[in-house]
Amino acid sequence: MSNPITSIKLVLLGEAAVGKSSIVLRFVSNDFSENKEPTIGAAFLTQRVNINNNTIKFEIWDTAGQERFASLAPMYYRNAQAALVVYDITKPQSFIKARHWVKELHEQASKDIIIALVGNKVDIIENDESERKVAREEGERLAEEEGLIFFETSAKTAENVNDVFLNIGEKIPLKNDNSSPNDTTITEDQRINLAASANATSEASSCSC
Amino acid sequence: MSFFSSLREKTKILDRITESFTPSLTRDEKFKLQYKLPSEEAILDDANADISFISANNAVYDESKKQNGLKGEPVAYIFSGKLYLTSHYLVFKDAFDESSCVLILNISTIKRVERSPSASYSFALMVTLYSSSQLLIQFIGLRYKSEQFCELLKQKLRENIPNAKKLDKFLATCYSEFLISKNVLRRKDILAPRAGLGQHYKYPAHPEMAKEKAKLRLWFEYFKENGENLAIMKNPKFTKLVRIGVPSRMRGEIWELCSGALYLRYAFQGEYERILEENKGKTSQAIDEIEKDLKRSLPEYSAYQTEEGIQRLRNVLTAYSWKNPDVGYCQAMNIVCAALLIYMTEEQAFWCLSNLCDVYVPGYYSKTMYGTLLDQKVFEAFVEEKLPVLNDYIVKHDIQLSVVSLPWFLSLFYTSMPLEYAVRIMDIFFMNGAKTLFQVALAVLKLNADDILQADDDGMFIAIIKNYFRTLGESAHPDSPDIRYRQITKFQELLVTAFKEFSVITDSMIAQGRHRYQKGILENIETFVKKTQVRHMPKTFYLSTDDLSNLYDIYYDSIETHKISMGTGSSNMTFEVFVQFLGKFCDWCKPCQMDKDPAFKKQKEDFLRKIFNNWDSSSLGELTINDVVLGLEKLLTTDLLESMNYFFTLYDSDSDGELQREEVLEMSEGLILLTEPWRSGRLVDFLTKKSIEDDIAEKIVKENGDVIQSMEEIELPTGVVIEEEKYKSEQSERYLKAASSFLQRSFEYAKSLDLSEEVNLIDLSDNEDDSEAKESKRKKFQSLKHNAALDPTHSKVIDLATFRMIILADETYELFFAQTLRLSIHLNEGFATSSTNKVLKSMLDGIIADGKRVAEQVRRRVDSVATRGSVNSLDSGPQTLGGSITRSEDIDDFTSEHLEEHADLLQDSLLDIYDTSDHEGGQTSQQRKLETLKPRPVSEGNKKEDLIEFEA
Ligand SMILES: Nc1nc2c(ncn2[C@@H]2O[C@H](COP(=O)(O)OP(=O)(O)O)[C@@H](O)[C@H]2O)c(=O)[nH]1
Ligand SMILES: [Mg+2]
Repeated sequence: MSNPITSIKLVLLGEAAVGKSSIVLRFVSNDFSENKEPTIGAAFLTQRVNINNNTIKFEIWDTAGQERFASLAPMYYRNAQAALVVYDITKPQSFIKARHWVKELHEQASKDIIIALVGNKVDIIENDESERKVAREEGERLAEEEGLIFFETSAKTAENVNDVFLNIGEKIPLKNDNSSPNDTTITEDQRINLAASANATSEASSCSC
Repeated sequence: MSFFSSLREKTKILDRITESFTPSLTRDEKFKLQYKLPSEEAILDDANADISFISANNAVYDESKKQNGLKGEPVAYIFSGKLYLTSHYLVFKDAFDESSCVLILNISTIKRVERSPSASYSFALMVTLYSSSQLLIQFIGLRYKSEQFCELLKQKLRENIPNAKKLDKFLATCYSEFLISKNVLRRKDILAPRAGLGQHYKYPAHPEMAKEKAKLRLWFEYFKENGENLAIMKNPKFTKLVRIGVPSRMRGEIWELCSGALYLRYAFQGEYERILEENKGKTSQAIDEIEKDLKRSLPEYSAYQTEEGIQRLRNVLTAYSWKNPDVGYCQAMNIVCAALLIYMTEEQAFWCLSNLCDVYVPGYYSKTMYGTLLDQKVFEAFVEEKLPVLNDYIVKHDIQLSVVSLPWFLSLFYTSMPLEYAVRIMDIFFMNGAKTLFQVALAVLKLNADDILQADDDGMFIAIIKNYFRTLGESAHPDSPDIRYRQITKFQELLVTAFKEFSVITDSMIAQGRHRYQKGILENIETFVKKTQVRHMPKTFYLSTDDLSNLYDIYYDSIETHKISMGTGSSNMTFEVFVQFLGKFCDWCKPCQMDKDPAFKKQKEDFLRKIFNNWDSSSLGELTINDVVLGLEKLLTTDLLESMNYFFTLYDSDSDGELQREEVLEMSEGLILLTEPWRSGRLVDFLTKKSIEDDIAEKIVKENGDVIQSMEEIELPTGVVIEEEKYKSEQSERYLKAASSFLQRSFEYAKSLDLSEEVNLIDLSDNEDDSEAKESKRKKFQSLKHNAALDPTHSKVIDLATFRMIILADETYELFFAQTLRLSIHLNEGFATSSTNKVLKSMLDGIIADGKRVAEQVRRRVDSVATRGSVNSLDSGPQTLGGSITRSEDIDDFTSEHLEEHADLLQDSLLDIYDTSDHEGGQTSQQRKLETLKPRPVSEGNKKEDLIEFEA
């Protein structure tokens, strides 16, 4: 029953203001705030979740998105087992940046790094589809080509945010046992449990020092 | 390193950056840096002097006289030291201990200067200031030197008269003036000058009124004794007052004063407003980035939840991005600026931010953030030296120090500490400079060392530090039985550790560290930037990764003003740079003799301009590296059709798929220009090359006969004299003809354009040999163009299909688009070495050195001869070999009998190589060794009649 805790070092990359920090805040504290300070350098946060009776501890590096911080990124994605490459579905430029990040990760990061491509801010197009500037298919195609997990999320409404992390979490232990990803259907209960599981509140630490 | 060697005077800012990184500063530079004076303030003269400051609001009285019932004479301390004069300032520093007295006095604050009788000094001046305070300067040393100093001072005083008019307005913005007016002159009616957002939105964690008031009083006393703002004497008390924490109301001015921003603001009054006004409504990348962060800058401070606060922040960040476009905007600046604006007006914050970015933390916010990376390296070295145990632990556990410390430096602790503590660090930072950051950072590590030594990964390390910063206000010794100990907060403990224990960290140590690691950091950045940029270049088919990498080097080598590692200067290419850039690796763009001809030069420029505009995807009149990549990709296509199509689109300015008469003429000129290197014989195209090879092969076969059985056996003469002129003129002829035919055909095939008469008037196919005839041909050609251009009757001339047909009708032009053009672009070669006069030489070298191809030709000939031998009976007449040479000899001519004879002949030719000195007219360069083939031993005494020679 009590399996050892698996740690996953995960890094978030993407253009400034696409919502990286917001996604992390949503995942770690189930919270959202319109006005957050931009991340200087990088912020570090942790969150534990239970997947199939395995406790997984995410060690999350949330990086600064501005172009000129790119030279610092290797410092944060070194040894990372997983990466979230985030773009804003209302900002085409951010999708181009996402492509670049995927390319860089494939070239520079650990060879078997698991990458999730995340199109954020879907809540914006809920009322007005014309706000969408990056087609879902475009994201899907890139994910297909590069072998990435793909989700469209909203840090604001929490849509799909946990799923991204759980999906990554499932991919990691899969390397050891042969259970198919379909075995781990996440019920709503489990999802709510996520934040509370394994004293998540005390474990979740955010830092912008 | 090329970066350093090529560093030239560019901008003042860049200069200052490099200066502060290099320990060897000039006296002037050190002086300006030390007293935070604007860059214009070079030392004009200096003098040894004793000075005393006699305050108008005398705070110090001679107590003994007071007892006698007199009001008392004011007493003033006398300091001995050095006095400096700059264009706008008088600066004095104590000769024994600089910290005991430094006076910085703007000349426009001087109201009157008089000679003063002095008993003990030969020469003294009494300087009266606007505040009625006085400065007594008693000169020491040679009288004529002192006189000279006075003379200069007088001159500067006169020059400063216009500035004096700005003084009143400026002083009205200083809180120190307000304090004095209110308390000395007892004026109750005056209002405090406009200040930062804190004035209305409250200052963060504002201390109780009593404490603020007490601190303000201390400053008031200080100003009374020592002057204020533009005429102030700084002594150890000043340092002390800053250390105990500047009162919120006074903070803005003290930051300005310490950072020198005050001097900039005074010198450039109105500049801030002007920058904003001039750039109103403009957009830039920096502005987009600023906009994203406005609501994310100290959002917890109430003013930044209002439009007023946001607008001030927007103004200052935007103005700075226009003032220093090399930096533009960097995340973290928003937070620093937001903090400044709590205590300062927009204009004050603007100058303070400028000095902070340019002087205090140079390169921190640059496009590559090299300053940040460099200081992290310097910091790591300090940790290694000062905290060895901790350092060993960190290294052993593979914890990366910078992940924790980088944000401290970059955001000056604002994102780490609660605001009220960060501003205290800032008080000292502005007074003592960047070393403050290192001292505090080291103290933080030291004070948390016990806990950090328990951490085993980055995460725990970060958690420890975060928790520490959150509890800075708590007692440092909560368990101490001594109440006084319990009252010491962690923050106080931090300050003591930082500024006592780590006071060993000095400016010069930092400068040395920066100097030591600079080269490595900048190289790393260059490598990183290149890797990233090459990776992000558009997908290319004809350009290999190596090509792209070379292209990157040539590109940035051309834009000399751009410093990759520092991220300064524009990385885009203007037309002028573009021309030089292409000239480095495109044969047809290399500078050449013809450039001297203005007409040619103009044509060349027109043609290059066409390419430039075609590549300029953003139509901004500048190319990016990606534009260049995509453009070259089109030129380098190996597809004949694509290549022709692209050339067509260059001239089809309205992209209607049809070329107007004018455009056809332009195109023909473009083609002539583009083919100039081949026309002038500087370069050899494939047709010529092939004909040279054929001729060589022909000779060899002639010499060796059918004796040659395998490639190894082929013996080639090692001396080959190539008659350059013959091939040159043949090729030149061919290109001229191609140009003529092109134009002729264009008008022939042009839809309904009746030019036939003119065309028929000119016989373009004659075979002139002499230059005179060539010249007349050229003239005819010119007139043909002229006539065509003059014809007003028809506008449409040719479409794409016709154009292709015309090109394909000519072997030379067809080859040009199929290959010649593409091969004239050399991205894979060392671009720096090739010079024009070497081109033909190396070309011929290429042909000959590539003996394989010649050998191949030889073999084909021999094979074909052998075939003929075996089918002897069928052979009935001459056969064509290698396409161009017809041989009529019978197989029987190549019998073994001839073997020796041929061998001998070859030896003859060999001799000739060693005999070149006998040749007239320095033919040495025309002789080529066929290196792939073994030369035979030289035998003496033979004649040169059988030399393989190519002569007219
Ligand atoms: N509507 C909407 N806004 C979002 C969402 N995620 C983030 N934002 C906003 O986008 C801005 C940038 O978010 P932040 O997390 O700081 O982006 P980062 O720079 O990528 O870390 C903030 O103002 C957020 O409130 C989202 O899912 N929907
Ligand atoms: Mg962020």
